[in-house]
Amino acid sequence: MLKVISFPKNESPKQITNIWQILRNAEGEESAALPSGKVIVPFSWWLARGRRHEFSQRIINQDIGVWFSADDDVLAHANIILEDQDLWSVIAVDFPVFRDGRGFSTATLLRQRLGWSGELQAIGDVLIDQLLQLSRVGFDTFVLRHDQNIENGLKQFDLYGVSFQNDWRSNRTLLSQVNL
Amino acid sequence: MYQYDQIDQQLVRRRVEQFRNQVQRRLSDELLEEEFRPLRLQNGLYLQRHAYMLRIAIPYGMLSTRQLRTLADISEKYDRNYGHFTTRQNIQFNWINLEQTPDILADLALVEMHAIQTSGNCIRNITSDPFAGVAADEVVDPRPICELLRQWSTLHPEFAYLPRKFKIAISGAKQDRAVILAHDIGLLLKEDDQGNTICDIFAGGGLGRTPILGVLVKENLSWEKLPSYLTAVLRVYNRFGRRDNIYKARIKILVKALGKIEFSRQVEAEWDHLKDANDNFQNQEWLRVSQFFTKPEYQPVAPMSQDELVKGVKSTEQLAFKRWLERNTRAHQQSGYTSVVLSLKPHGTAAPGDASTEQMRAIANLADLYSFGEVRITHEQNIVLADVEQTKLFELYQKAKKFQLAIPNIGLLTDIIACPGGDFCSLANAKSLPIASAIQHRFDDLDYLFDLGEISLNISGCINSCGHHHVGNIGILGVDKDGSEWYQITLGGSQGNQTSIGKVIGPSFDAEEVPDVIAKIIEVFVEKREYLESFSQVVTRIGIEPFKQKVYASIKKENTHA
Repeated sequence: MLKVISFPKNESPKQITNIWQILRNAEGEESAALPSGKVIVPFSWWLARGRRHEFSQRIINQDIGVWFSADDDVLAHANIILEDQDLWSVIAVDFPVFRDGRGFSTATLLRQRLGWSGELQAIGDVLIDQLLQLSRVGFDTFVLRHDQNIENGLKQFDLYGVSFQNDWRSNRTLLSQVNL
Repeated sequence: MYQYDQIDQQLVRRRVEQFRNQVQRRLSDELLEEEFRPLRLQNGLYLQRHAYMLRIAIPYGMLSTRQLRTLADISEKYDRNYGHFTTRQNIQFNWINLEQTPDILADLALVEMHAIQTSGNCIRNITSDPFAGVAADEVVDPRPICELLRQWSTLHPEFAYLPRKFKIAISGAKQDRAVILAHDIGLLLKEDDQGNTICDIFAGGGLGRTPILGVLVKENLSWEKLPSYLTAVLRVYNRFGRRDNIYKARIKILVKALGKIEFSRQVEAEWDHLKDANDNFQNQEWLRVSQFFTKPEYQPVAPMSQDELVKGVKSTEQLAFKRWLERNTRAHQQSGYTSVVLSLKPHGTAAPGDASTEQMRAIANLADLYSFGEVRITHEQNIVLADVEQTKLFELYQKAKKFQLAIPNIGLLTDIIACPGGDFCSLANAKSLPIASAIQHRFDDLDYLFDLGEISLNISGCINSCGHHHVGNIGILGVDKDGSEWYQITLGGSQGNQTSIGKVIGPSFDAEEVPDVIAKIIEVFVEKREYLESFSQVVTRIGIEPFKQKVYASIKKENTHA
């Protein structure tokens, strides 16, 4: 099974085995059946059919998560996200290419505005040189691109030990140090 | 000036280690060039025509002499004995080896310097008024805000992969010397009735392919709310700025597409959720930073008029010294003191903004002797010694002259702003340095230059507009047509409180014609000007048509290129 990095808040980063598969739907595949096991479905899939009765047992089994694409506007769907997030066991945010930074704002909004306190996965073109920023905006699971060195990745989180901004994990160093 | 504490120091030191590791991974091909590129760019490292170029941050243009000496050492040890000061108050070295870059950054970290975010699609080094804290027309000293925002923007986790670069400029004076309207965000600092610092925020300005001036999106924002307000602006931009076309990716395109009202509304809606959070600056943070921007120990000296100063020197020196005082000094807040501009625009012997190793060391010595050990870089690519006692001006002038730093051409036609252009930059369509040199040679007559008065001439080697040609009274833009280099001329641009974008006068010219074209333009100005009218006022009054006619009537039509 694929190894991923898990770095929950107030814990240390470690390797774990990935239990989730991502359902990547192409247009026209909308009617495809949900694979068995733990599946993270596209948000568009959820919107269309997530609340159907046929999936309720899977939800109760905590088999269903939802992923947002870089194009998904989480604020435009705020009501649905607030209402339905109790049904999701995990949320993921996709990076179509590592340079596309929209996911950093999506994660921030999910954590700060939309009250998501569960697991938040970074998926897609996730490279070790972006792990630090990803972990600061609210991601706590990192599904690295297949060619990335996971051992090296584990070393990327404590590169600085100080910061100039408040983030999901801690306040800026100055605030915590001088106790303003 | 600001001094690092252990947090800043640790951050830059660790940054060097991080980059050293990334360079090693690149050299061993573990890291692909495409993936290394944004990492090196955010450490100021560009791949140019001949070598790597390293752009080092000079936050809001301020340097200590210790830092300047380190830059001189770097130019000697790792480069070719010179550096290039840029239109964003930074310095670039053009002949750098990738392998040595971590060592250079380590040298810089020892003197509280770095190259973080001097390139790449992130919040860039913040620029400001080179006369901050000393200008006679200052309302609010912008330096504490500049420093607070430098810290806030450094390694911001949410905004490291924006659609495109993001530039912030800050002014706190009656006269804008930071071109705030030509930036993604321009901040104008003011005081309210109670003496609290507040600011107006302009968004969506920028030069480049589509020059647009920023629009006022927020008035009278309390200074401590800047982090939350700027977060709101950047979040809207990060989420909705275009990523499909590099030329339409700046925030100006988003602001224009949404319109000022809708853009402001979206920012305001976002800010509503942020404005009371502890992201905002705390008063203690202000106190911590502002203590570094106190007044130096000025001596109680009587003010002297220019006439008095001139009369005090040998008669053979009087004319030259008077010219230098007129052009290269600025009024100061402190009685008996003056700010001095050292010109990095010799007539044709060096590129605009270039300083040799020897000159950098000389400038550091002068600043130690005459200006409390501090140096500022201007966006016009000159050097400011901000706090010079008037009685020492002649001494300083004579010493500066020995290093070709006292040419009295500040604000005149030969004080050309130019990007490095096609000689170095791989983005350029055309060379800009030979054009600057040819124009400086052509107008190498100080009497004539003085008579013409203030004229800004800005040259960019491509539409990225690093030479700010859009806001030059005369703008020259290098364009590529059928594989050869041509130059398009604009007139009517200006910076300052009347910032405006120049208009193209017509078909472009080849390199050899450019000095003649400029000469014709100047002829029209001389012909049409009324008493005491500046070049820019004449262009505003008569429009570009008379210039156009003269230029195209005299230049053979077949030479021009439609």
